[in-house]
Amino acid sequence: MQAYKKDEESGVGQFFQDKTTVIQEARVFNETPISPRKCRILLTKIVYLLCVGETFGTQEATTLFFGVTKLFQHKDSALRQMVYLVIKELSNIAEDVIMVTSSIMKDMQPNLEVIYRPNAIRALCRIIDGSMIVGVERFFKAAIVDRNSSIASAALVSSYHLHPISRDVIKRWANEAQEAISTKASGGPMGYGSAHQAGYQAVQSNSSITQYHALGLLYLIRQSDRMAVTKMIQQLSGNKGASGMLRSPFAICMLIRFAAKVMEDDPNVQRQMYELLDGYLKHKSDMVNLEAARAICEMRNVTSAELYRPIAVLQLFLSSPKATLKFAAIRTLAQLAQTHPIAVQTCNLDMEKLINDDNRSVATFAITTLLKTGNEASVDRLMKQISAFMSEISDEFKVIVVNAIRALCLKFPAKQSVMLTFLSGVLRDEGGYDFKRAVVEAIFDMIKFIGDSKEAALAQLCEFIEDCEFTKLSVRILHLLGVEGPKAPQPSKYIRYIYNRVVLENAIVRAAAVSSLAKFGVNVADLGVKRSIKVLLTRCLDDVDDEVRDRAAFNLKLMGDEPLANSFIRDESTFSLDALEAKLTNYIADSDASSAPFDFNAVPKVSKEQSLENALRARSEAVNSVATASDATGVDASTARPSAAQSQSAYAKQLAEVPELASYGPVLKSSAKPVELTESETEYVVSCVKHIFAEHIVFQFNIRNTVDAVQLEQVSVLMSPSPETALVEDFIIPIPSLAANSSGTVYVSFTRESPEEYAVGSFANSLKFLSKELDPESGEPEEDGYDDEYQIEELDLSAGDYIVPSYATFATEWDRLRTGANAQETFALTALDSLKSACDTLIELLNMEALGGTEAPTSTSVHTLNLSGLVCGGGGKVLTRARMTYQSGKGVTMELTVRAEKEPATQLVLSAIA
Amino acid sequence: MFTALLNWLRSLLWNKQADIALIGLQNSGKTSLVNVLAAGEFSSSMIPTVGFNLRKVTKGNVTFKLWDIGGQPRFRSMWERYCRGVNAIGYIVDSADKDSFPAAKAELHALLEKPELHGIPVLVLGNKNDLDNHAKVDELIAALGLASITNREVSCYSVSAKSQRNIDLTLNWLLKRA
Repeated sequence: MQAYKKDEESGVGQFFQDKTTVIQEARVFNETPISPRKCRILLTKIVYLLCVGETFGTQEATTLFFGVTKLFQHKDSALRQMVYLVIKELSNIAEDVIMVTSSIMKDMQPNLEVIYRPNAIRALCRIIDGSMIVGVERFFKAAIVDRNSSIASAALVSSYHLHPISRDVIKRWANEAQEAISTKASGGPMGYGSAHQAGYQAVQSNSSITQYHALGLLYLIRQSDRMAVTKMIQQLSGNKGASGMLRSPFAICMLIRFAAKVMEDDPNVQRQMYELLDGYLKHKSDMVNLEAARAICEMRNVTSAELYRPIAVLQLFLSSPKATLKFAAIRTLAQLAQTHPIAVQTCNLDMEKLINDDNRSVATFAITTLLKTGNEASVDRLMKQISAFMSEISDEFKVIVVNAIRALCLKFPAKQSVMLTFLSGVLRDEGGYDFKRAVVEAIFDMIKFIGDSKEAALAQLCEFIEDCEFTKLSVRILHLLGVEGPKAPQPSKYIRYIYNRVVLENAIVRAAAVSSLAKFGVNVADLGVKRSIKVLLTRCLDDVDDEVRDRAAFNLKLMGDEPLANSFIRDESTFSLDALEAKLTNYIADSDASSAPFDFNAVPKVSKEQSLENALRARSEAVNSVATASDATGVDASTARPSAAQSQSAYAKQLAEVPELASYGPVLKSSAKPVELTESETEYVVSCVKHIFAEHIVFQFNIRNTVDAVQLEQVSVLMSPSPETALVEDFIIPIPSLAANSSGTVYVSFTRESPEEYAVGSFANSLKFLSKELDPESGEPEEDGYDDEYQIEELDLSAGDYIVPSYATFATEWDRLRTGANAQETFALTALDSLKSACDTLIELLNMEALGGTEAPTSTSVHTLNLSGLVCGGGGKVLTRARMTYQSGKGVTMELTVRAEKEPATQLVLSAIA
Repeated sequence: MFTALLNWLRSLLWNKQADIALIGLQNSGKTSLVNVLAAGEFSSSMIPTVGFNLRKVTKGNVTFKLWDIGGQPRFRSMWERYCRGVNAIGYIVDSADKDSFPAAKAELHALLEKPELHGIPVLVLGNKNDLDNHAKVDELIAALGLASITNREVSCYSVSAKSQRNIDLTLNWLLKRA
């Protein structure tokens, strides 16, 4: 640390450069004769300025750039190398950089044995554009297979950078890249013997880094073709026993990452890849061992037998003197401990030693891992240890520790008092929002899952909000107090804390406190408490903030009105927020709709538990990703699958952009996920989304053309409905032209002959298009194409497409609909082999919400499944009760009772089964 | 001893550097001409110059830096940048391609109007005079409107890089401007 500081003072400080001076000095470029020394110093200054983040304007950069080009053809090799470095850096900012192309290409000539040839290659890739790549193809192909590894590496890396600009040209260089991998160690003393006399003194590197670069390029070229990648991995890794042709540990590490990815995508090759990785555990390079061990640990469905050897390797690293190795190993183990704590237990002894490691990051990981793998007895000791240095680690690591403890609470409920003491202790420490939130959430979990800790934990939270700088956290805690407080033996104890907030805090917290107080008022039976809440709320009526006043007034009213209070405070269902948002946006956008009030009945409901579960799932994903820090192959929390309602509103937006569909009115329902109509590996990948409108049905076909050299034009989908379907085809909106490797959308619209009925049926489909081959040179499609048809799978339009799952309280609703439309029928489903599969099929077929956990049968012979849904387009609520029995040999017998607000809905449900 | 010192002094006094910019429309033969001036070699298969080429040529006691700038439309805007501060501008015209004369004339006059290039001598070279239908010097002077350029020295030769005709004449002209 000290050495570094010193460095900063003497080195960087003295080399301070001013941009204006440097630009002034650029005059030396125009001097004759050129002074190589002066120019080199100035070029170094320019690069230095760019590297420390100084920005150059386009004009400044262009002037400098053209000044630099005056230095071309100078004899001094060192100056030439510097020139290329500067050109590379300036090429992003300056204009007209294309000017130097010819000059650079002169320095790239294959027979030119000059030290700056690699520099020239690397600079060239920054300045040429897509149209010129074909022109330099010959140079590059030759350079990639050059015997000199610096030249080959330069060419490979440049090709890698050029790939996004001109995929098709680079693709043709795969053979050369392959050859570069297999070339024997380059640049021995024999390499350029004659050149040495000519003053050529390139540093001959003996590392096989070229292999790394070549492998990177090869993968880039083949990445979209999984079969080719698999083949490449097999070929390069060599057969069992043989060492394979890769020598560079970097290249092997990369190969391992590719293998891990292939394994992730295609479970069929998992076995084979595992064996490969297993072999690399014995490689002589630490880096390779670590990478292989990590890949195996992250394998999907990894068994403990498979984990045995990688863990042994990591265990060995734990006692390595190198801090990086220790860190890498413990980090991998910490991550693994989240899913396979038992397997990591074998390392406990080694991890114990790391608790006192000088490196705090290593120590933190060691302790958190031990917390997951250790037994109950060791918890106390570890907690003591960790509290000792909590103040010394950064917030990110504190979050990791807190999350580990949170998991531990649930594992060892008996230790809750130790943990709670720890959590409340750290809650008082200094820390940012993320850290505090992690602690508060951990305490929330304790309240929820560990009954014994509830009272103490609530008390801690009460104390925390007394002095909490984060409004968001205060609001959440107040809400929790409102929910849990009234159930506590002494609710009045919390009221004081809550009312303190009303007196002392900002408006947001005050409003939350008022809502929380109201819950006490409604839910606590004690009349004394009710009375005092009324007094407190009445005082809030004088608040300066209108939201606080509104909430107080509203809640006072509720307290006097039992049924109203029930529906507002005790209601356990809530609107699906995504769906509500989509409907409201539609309502505002549609000018005709504003004459009628917004129809809340059309919004699907979910239970509060469900929405909580959703939130929890999202959060635990986020927590996991925090715990594993920034991990290259890990799951990205933000890519969590969008919920059905979110995709629904996305579709609505997409449809709104199609002018032909504008007159159809708002879309009532879109199917939640696209139906795949082809295998995912076929030439043309087609999936379909069904959109129901008031009087129309629109099928949206998402078509992807995966053929490289073919462009499709006039792409349409021919749909022939089965005869009994009450639909009339209106029009098809084709895709005018679908380039290679791109996607497009075809819409097919049908009119519903009688909108009050729900048309069902199946459709035979085929893809029709004009196929044009692409000219491999220019990439332009040829003039003449031929008509082609491509059969895709059948598509069903069924009851599920009209129904939206929606939550309801089954018993009350079922009673209420007793008088409504009713239907009952018995079915013998011989094809089904268990009650579970019957439930799954039914839920999928009807697209309804299973209520009260009835989707998972508890008995193997008898089960009742309760379902609820909303029929779109004002079809009203529909409830279904399916009583099932199962006998082996006979299959499932089911009595299906349907109750709905409107008659057609019951028919719709029954028709789906029949 | 005295002679050696004299020679060294002479070289110090007389050895000179000269920058020459060679411009002109595409396919007029600039790069070929540079190759002939530098090495005396002519190659009939040339690729268009992307950007510029720089060749150093030493003739007698003068070292020329020949800036050969690409003639395609996208590079013409950058001619001026490379003509600034040179000792002479060589403007090459394909004398066998009479259709290109109007464009050549327009580009030349636009360039010479730039204030930064004031007074720099211009040598117009009608290249490819080995071809049968090439324009004579007088025709070139008329077609390019050279008579109207008054603010500098302008000369016009008819040359051929291929048959190396009048190359010595050109060199002499350049040597005088160094």
